[in-house]
Amino acid sequence: MRSLLLIPTLLLLLALPVSRGRYNDDFDDGEDLADFDDNDFAEFEDMNDDLAAEAETAPPPRVSPSSQPEEDEDEATVELEDGQDGFDDSETQDQDMYSKYDQEEFEGVGDMEKTGHSMKDPLIIHTVPAHLQNSWESYYMEILMVTGLLAYIMNYIIGKNKNSRLAQAWFNSHRELLESNFALVGDDGTSKEAVSTGKLNQENEHIYNLWCSGRVCCEGMLIQLKFLKRQDLLNVLARMMRPACDQVQIKVTLNDEDMDTFVFAVGTKKAMARLQKEMQDLSEFCGDKPKSGAKYGLPESLAILTEMGEVTDGVMDNKMVHYITNHADKIESIHFSDQFSGPKVMQEEGQPLKLPETKKTLLFTFNVPGMGNTSPKDMDTLLPLMNMVIYSIDKVKKLRLNREGKQKADRNRARVEENFLKQTHAQRQEAAQTRREEKKRAEKERIMNEEDPERQRRLEEAAQRREQKKIEKKQMKMKQIKVKAM
Amino acid sequence: SQTLLGSVPRRLVAVVPVEYKPPSTETNPTLEDPTPDYMNLLGMIFSMCGLMLKLKWCAWIAVYCSFISFANSRSSEDTKQMMSSFMLSISAVVMSYLQNPQPMSPPW
Repeated sequence: MRSLLLIPTLLLLLALPVSRGRYNDDFDDGEDLADFDDNDFAEFEDMNDDLAAEAETAPPPRVSPSSQPEEDEDEATVELEDGQDGFDDSETQDQDMYSKYDQEEFEGVGDMEKTGHSMKDPLIIHTVPAHLQNSWESYYMEILMVTGLLAYIMNYIIGKNKNSRLAQAWFNSHRELLESNFALVGDDGTSKEAVSTGKLNQENEHIYNLWCSGRVCCEGMLIQLKFLKRQDLLNVLARMMRPACDQVQIKVTLNDEDMDTFVFAVGTKKAMARLQKEMQDLSEFCGDKPKSGAKYGLPESLAILTEMGEVTDGVMDNKMVHYITNHADKIESIHFSDQFSGPKVMQEEGQPLKLPETKKTLLFTFNVPGMGNTSPKDMDTLLPLMNMVIYSIDKVKKLRLNREGKQKADRNRARVEENFLKQTHAQRQEAAQTRREEKKRAEKERIMNEEDPERQRRLEEAAQRREQKKIEKKQMKMKQIKVKAM
Repeated sequence: SQTLLGSVPRRLVAVVPVEYKPPSTETNPTLEDPTPDYMNLLGMIFSMCGLMLKLKWCAWIAVYCSFISFANSRSSEDTKQMMSSFMLSISAVVMSYLQNPQPMSPPW
């Protein structure tokens, strides 16, 4: 709501300078007109005060362009033309004053008069540079900039506080459940021993981490509160075009004995399509398109990706279906995998590839209700989802595939490994070749560097003998293969 | 063994908590948010432009960039880097105004 108030204030501030801008032009005109006045003191007249004075001096100079220049300079006999009916006596008074000055005090005026007669070219009036004017309004762009910066700073403080309050509210509502399930709640990785800090680890102004560990059936659980970047005004404005919501990401890492071999995912249709493309394990093991969740009693909006039907039947028991159906609006994706290695990594060319390291993992991504306009109270609604996470951990430990399923799963994994090895065969051969060449070169260098000529000779002979042996071995192998073929 | 340990829940027994290892971002740089680094670089470029070419608007944009970079930065990041880009942009603004005290003219 506060961000909504900021926008009208910014717009108001934008509107002000635009109107001020026109005011500036009036000032410029006034100065031009002042210079047209023949009085030597014209340039010292204070233009900022009297609009009345301006009005007075305005009419005669406006008349002067129409009359001829030499008549303008003639102070003694100023001829009032027709159309100047609106002039006061003060106007003629001024002119009398000018003639008085002329006779009593000024000498050079007569010369000016003479040069004035010959002047036919129009005067070039330079405007007083804006920074010499006594007005702050000419700096309106700068004031706008500074106001923008102040607005940004204010938004930073407000956003930071809001995120911090949301994080604290989440932790307060979940603390009891976590502490009853895990021995270690909160660790920022700085201390040597695993001691529970009991509070969130702030990574950013919008990301908070919590590491829980010390429970059977799992190695540990990392909870990431990924809030929206409320502290960045640009992001706040971008979110007005494209709404997004805060997310809670939970990653449970399991020990090898805690999970059987299967890959499974359920979530919104969009999320499933995205994960199938992005995630290494889902793209390799779950080749079929995401199936609708309606078959298993889930809402239509959710889709399932699975390695085999048996896995889905095993995971989607009544309680899980119950959990998911009740909180379908908050679930973005749930991903169980024994082959989890993160998103697909783009491989560089010519690099010997190794199968990426896998870890048995359960991943949960939940959306905080409110679509950005969350209040700390909304954090309580996520508590049942944490219960589901704990239930899933225990369930996965107990879930075992039957014999057929296990065979299928093993075959799948072997197939994936084979494919990988085939793809990288050429590259691995190359790598082996280069390694062999390196070794030879290193040996040769050693021989060269050997100072003692005796030892050098001996080393060379040893190397030659080794080469000979290798060649003989190869020949033997070829002979054996030939014999076998026959 | 359960009775000996009394009230401690069984599931907390004999489990050694594993220490927290921050996920290494070197292996997956795509997961990292590149905004603070880009904004830092942009800020420095704009402030150099503002200083060399004496353009006031460049210097102001540089100040904004360094603010945005600060707002998006990670807590593990070096504050010296932040402060240096911030100071550079402020100095660009100040130098532009010292050399040419005229107010900035709008592009319209």
